Amino acid sequence: MNPLSEYQQLLTRRNFFGHSGLRLGGMALTYLLGRDLAGAAAPAAVHPPLPGLPHFAAKAKAVIYLHMNGGPSQLDLWDYKPGLKNHFNKDLPRSFLGERITTMTSGQTSFPVAPSKFKFAQHGQSGRWVSELLPHTAKIVDDIALVKTVHTNAINHDPACTFLMTGSEIPGKASLGSWISYGLGSAANDLPAFVALMPRFPESGNGQALFSRMWGSGFLPGRHAGVVLRSAGDPVLYLENPPGVDRSDRRAMLDVLNQFNQRSFERVGDPDIQTRISQYEMAYRLQASVPELADLSKESPATLEMYGPEVKTPGSFASSALLARRLVERGVRVVQIMHRGWDSHGDLPHQLGNQCLDTDRGTAALVQDLKQRGLLDDVLVIWGGEFGRTVYSQGTLTQENYGRDHHPRNFCMWMAGGGIKGGIVHGETDDFSYNPVADPVHINEINATMLHCLGIDHERFSLKFQGLDQRLTGVESVSVVKNLLA
Amino acid sequence: MSRPWLLSGLYFLTCVPAGAEQAAEAGIVSYNRDIRPILSDKCFACHGMDSKKRKADLRLDVLEEAVKPLKEGTPLVPGNPDASLVWQRIVSVDPEEVMPPPDSHKTLKAEEKEILRRWISQGAAYQKHWAFEPPVHRVLPDPETQPLLDQLVDARLDAANLIPLAAAERPVLIRRVSFALTGLPPSLEEREQFLGDNHPEAYERMVDRYLASPRYGEEMARHWLDVARYADTHGLHLDNERQMWAYRDWVVRAFNNNQPFDQFTVEQLAGDLLPEATQEQLIATGFNRCNVTTGEGGSIDAEQLFRYAVDRASTTAQTWLGLTVGCAACHDHKYDPVSQKEFYSFYAFFHSNADPAMDGNTLLTNPVMKIKPPDYQTKVAAFEEKRDALQAALNAKTATVGYQDPAEQNPPPEVTETEVIWFDDAFPAGAQTGVAGHPQQLVEKPAPVASGQRSLKRSGEGMAQDYYQSGAAPLEVPAGGRVFLQVYLDPQDTPEEIMIQFHTGEWLHRAWWGQDIIPFGAVGTTQRFGAGPLPETGKWVPLEVEASSMGLLPGMKISGIAFTVHGGTAYFDRLGIKGRLDPATDPSRSFTAWRKSVAGKDLPEVPAALRGWLKEGPDKERSGIELQQLRGYYLQNVCAGTAAALVAEKGALKEASKELEAYLESIPSTFIFRDLEQPRDSFVMKRGQYDQPGEKVEPGTPAVLPPLARAGTRANRLDLARWLVAPEHPLVARVTVNRFWQQVFGTGLVKSSHDFGTQGDLPSHPELLDGLALHFQKSGWNVKGLMRLMLISQTFRRTSAAPAEAWQADPDNRWLARGSRFRLDAEQLRDQALFAGGLLDLTMGGRGVNPYQPPNIWEPVAYTGSNTRNYVQSAGTGVHRRSLYTFYKRTAPAPFMINFDAPSREQACTRRERSNTPLQALQLMNDVQHFEAARALAERTLLLGGATPESRIGFACRTVLNREPTEEERVALLQFQQSRLEKYRVAPAEALKAITFGTVKPSDVLKEPELASWTLVANLLLNLDEAVTRP
Repeated sequence: MNPLSEYQQLLTRRNFFGHSGLRLGGMALTYLLGRDLAGAAAPAAVHPPLPGLPHFAAKAKAVIYLHMNGGPSQLDLWDYKPGLKNHFNKDLPRSFLGERITTMTSGQTSFPVAPSKFKFAQHGQSGRWVSELLPHTAKIVDDIALVKTVHTNAINHDPACTFLMTGSEIPGKASLGSWISYGLGSAANDLPAFVALMPRFPESGNGQALFSRMWGSGFLPGRHAGVVLRSAGDPVLYLENPPGVDRSDRRAMLDVLNQFNQRSFERVGDPDIQTRISQYEMAYRLQASVPELADLSKESPATLEMYGPEVKTPGSFASSALLARRLVERGVRVVQIMHRGWDSHGDLPHQLGNQCLDTDRGTAALVQDLKQRGLLDDVLVIWGGEFGRTVYSQGTLTQENYGRDHHPRNFCMWMAGGGIKGGIVHGETDDFSYNPVADPVHINEINATMLHCLGIDHERFSLKFQGLDQRLTGVESVSVVKNLLA
Repeated sequence: MSRPWLLSGLYFLTCVPAGAEQAAEAGIVSYNRDIRPILSDKCFACHGMDSKKRKADLRLDVLEEAVKPLKEGTPLVPGNPDASLVWQRIVSVDPEEVMPPPDSHKTLKAEEKEILRRWISQGAAYQKHWAFEPPVHRVLPDPETQPLLDQLVDARLDAANLIPLAAAERPVLIRRVSFALTGLPPSLEEREQFLGDNHPEAYERMVDRYLASPRYGEEMARHWLDVARYADTHGLHLDNERQMWAYRDWVVRAFNNNQPFDQFTVEQLAGDLLPEATQEQLIATGFNRCNVTTGEGGSIDAEQLFRYAVDRASTTAQTWLGLTVGCAACHDHKYDPVSQKEFYSFYAFFHSNADPAMDGNTLLTNPVMKIKPPDYQTKVAAFEEKRDALQAALNAKTATVGYQDPAEQNPPPEVTETEVIWFDDAFPAGAQTGVAGHPQQLVEKPAPVASGQRSLKRSGEGMAQDYYQSGAAPLEVPAGGRVFLQVYLDPQDTPEEIMIQFHTGEWLHRAWWGQDIIPFGAVGTTQRFGAGPLPETGKWVPLEVEASSMGLLPGMKISGIAFTVHGGTAYFDRLGIKGRLDPATDPSRSFTAWRKSVAGKDLPEVPAALRGWLKEGPDKERSGIELQQLRGYYLQNVCAGTAAALVAEKGALKEASKELEAYLESIPSTFIFRDLEQPRDSFVMKRGQYDQPGEKVEPGTPAVLPPLARAGTRANRLDLARWLVAPEHPLVARVTVNRFWQQVFGTGLVKSSHDFGTQGDLPSHPELLDGLALHFQKSGWNVKGLMRLMLISQTFRRTSAAPAEAWQADPDNRWLARGSRFRLDAEQLRDQALFAGGLLDLTMGGRGVNPYQPPNIWEPVAYTGSNTRNYVQSAGTGVHRRSLYTFYKRTAPAPFMINFDAPSREQACTRRERSNTPLQALQLMNDVQHFEAARALAERTLLLGGATPESRIGFACRTVLNREPTEEERVALLQFQQSRLEKYRVAPAEALKAITFGTVKPSDVLKEPELASWTLVANLLLNLDEAVTRP
């Protein structure tokens, strides 16, 4: 390899989409302008992986992360505790309460047990107990691995979300999507490697905030930050030409722009100018590829039916789920859907019912859709929130109504698809769903397992920053949850 | 300038890292240069400072430990590699023995092994890490003069066989200087002035003009505010607005006034501890209030206070020491000599903060300070004088008012009863009603109706309600008020709960019947009064509740009513209020009754002098004067019977008090830093856990650095600040000079400007760094002087246009043979476009503004209750202020900033990345901010750029690129403009759309197709690599 092109390959830090077509001088330009393709080598990947990655053969090529922001109640969805009926309104034994409970309920004089008012039934070959609130997800239980004993460190939304997504409660670290983009790049040459979606949520939901750090790049280069695909306005920021300016105007302008920039390069010699030329061309391509992506009109009626009527409303959870499939189909590495409104401190049955109604069908459809297309083997789907909810009621408790406070000691997440063994349950909790009694799984271990499915050894996947070997999975030693692996 | 030792000619194309090359040259291995980086990277994690993680009881970071014999042998035998256990292990082939062990995923390269072997054979000499040794003049005795800087750079170039390039041309130079010092491109006038200046020091004079510009402070502040993590919101959870922009403006002033950097340091870290601290010095302490804080319900105070102190300690260390001490929050630092105990000693300086654990989600979280303008005292005195005069007039009038206490009347006055209906058949006239649940249903018979023609039917599966909170005339609560209403519950669909609510500016008054499910209001207060069980179903039942039990007190004005159910159907009818007035016992009529009613109470609203007398009650003997004062207060402020007689005087007084209040309120405040009166005890927190205190610590500094001098028995922040800027401190001047160098040249002499520890990069030019650091201290920490020194150097003036071989030989330009060329920062890009279009509003200071922003940046992420949830674009030229003044919301920063690598300001950022992405291209082409600016530039071009297309192209190129176009460019641009003009002539509607994008109206003297075509030309120019780059 000649020294100059080798040097140019080393420049990867400086550009979002890598050095697509970055060759010496004019050749790159001709390629980029789509002329005279004969003889030009195939372009390098737009999002190249880090050298040496993946560490080993990956089971999953992409991740779809369904984040239920606010903390869904494990007790009303997955962690079936029929025995609680006998404890209705009785005080939770004080031996259960630790020091670290939120000050929203730590001042309560009693901690009355609130059994779930919802019916549970067994589903699938695996006989999984699922709440009546999730009739659609109940149909895919044989594809998912349910973890009942996930635990986290934080007790409040902001630090818990930050921890879940970055491995640290303190803002400033890289998000999991940006880590994966950084390590593995992506096969999507016309789209970003990491896309974040924020669907609408029911009005009844208690909509806790999201934070850009949940998809930000922290100390990693900014090009790894999730690109937010928006449901209103430009799907990607600044994607549309200004009013009165059309695609042919842009083409004409870019032709002159590229010509001038090429002259600058010849005069100045800065390789960054070549990168800039390619990025303007990539921008032009994005202007076509993103609208194509968001156009669901070519989806079959059967597919649309599977996701439900809401799929036709842009910005709904169902349409976001379908978009997620379309994104991974096009090679996008990570799609993160952040659905809000799960923070049910009061009026939980009503709020949670609406939350499930909004997401259940789209979630199940996504897994089924991927499976029907043979994509589920390549795509890892993760579902969960930043923590669970307490067995004791917050506020007044009746047979029909109750609220629940934050509960970080055990909550439920599930994983499905690439690298994951379907139809299993991992971990068991005590009779009050208050502490794990077998196989606790720290949130960092979920992330370690996710990375493992992607062919990444989480311990070796580090970057030096502020004097530390930063890892998504933190400094404390954690393990991949082997039992979940196919 | 001649450099006799540098011969012009061919480039020597070598790219050997300088360290290795020099070591090879000298043959002598240097611990700091060659060995420590290897040991630090590969060995110290297990054999370094961290005592808890140390393996095999072996410590390799200090000689005394490394030569101590162990069971298996002696780790290091100076002079004899083969006898050294370390060497034996390095070369071992046994996976059980070899070091580093395979499971560490660390390996030594062959050349690293070789250099370690040579180091041991040369005697294994250790050195203290370079940055902890004081800076020294190693080359020449006097570093005062500019050529020295160039000499030190050139000496390195010489050693690396690189040839420095000639100076750039003047148009390039002025653009480079203008951006470096003011963050803006040169104006055409500034350009002409410089190009036409024949003085031998024309360049220096141009630099001095920019140093004197008020824009200088703004550009300098921008970099500092990244380090200080300044923003306009709290940063966590609700991420509500906070008011501390006065600190931002203080930083701008400090740079413009060229405040010496040592004072700049002391005032920010300890301005509050200076004797007779001035307002400016207190504003400066905002530095330590810039950290993110939370107000999230449920948080644990001790945990938050711990985090704030960790953040403040880490940021201070990062900023002034260039050390990443944050690691030592959890364990001894693995690489730098900062033990966990030392970290917590440093943390102890910041741990007695007076600001609370919970920020309260308010604009002003204490401690805060009003920023008083110079005429504050005079203004307040004038307001007070006016108010006092009006009070005297009121007192005089009061003395003339006839009043007889009804309690003393015989026979006593009559008792009157009143009844007012608020709801019957309809809500009060004008009420803007709303619902939660199905639409409003006012039903007629045969549906249940208790009174009149209609009742209000309300059903819902969960909470549902009918309400209004505006539009109707206010309803007054009478004395002795009792709210009544009629309710009919559907026996087939009985609600679990019914509720009535009243709005008095906020929804604060409720009564409920049935089960307490609806989660409104604080339990056990008048906001959520439990009035009893559900009434019987299937019939109209009258309900009644004391107004006071809902906190509705006589005289209160009700602005809204709500009828609420949960899980069922109810009919509501005939809601109203009864009042009962007995003047003899009513405190608002009877002086005696009032005194009885307040006996034993502390009334904060009453003047202090009267408070005690009132508390003692009416039975206590009072002098005539005392009684007169009490009576005067009563008649003026409480008595309903005399209100009418005093209305004019009271109105005037109230007006004057309001003026004073309005003035006081118009004065902004800012966050300041203070300590608690009684310091908190600080402890080593085991494993960095807030609830695991270990050994107690006192405020102190790391032992590896010079000792701290204390003024009192306990060291405080002022001692710390003075310690930092003491002449013997080895780090502060170096770290600071390096950051300014990075600002000017794009990369620091120490590339890792945030880390001067052993994990950081070595300086590219150690003598230069030391020379500048010493010079900076000696100059009295003169920042403008330092900036000038760097900018007038030949090194800075070099052209950045270089042959490919030069780029290849030194891709990052660490050796500075050419000028540094880099992409402009986010703020500079936007400011440049606005400047070129003549749109930039140069107003300085004040509350952050909201420029153009695409919809749905804040809204989709914010918590429902956040006051920064809805983005409201600023009015007028607020959208065109300098980017420094853009409102910084941390959880969703402005996309035009983030897209170009601006930090979120959640933690200190000493160096921004410079990425190059397609999303940036989209922004510069399509963002309304840039397109409107292009349109404005097109207008200027057409109006000021002469009459011919050629002269106009020249004008536009001079404005944006600071140079004349080449012939090729002129032709291409004109062709482009003509082709677009043809398009727009055919489609004038499209032209109109293009030129009306934005809020500023286009000039009406220009033809639309013409202006639109030139807008695209301007848009093109502003997108050129040359335009987005500091040349």
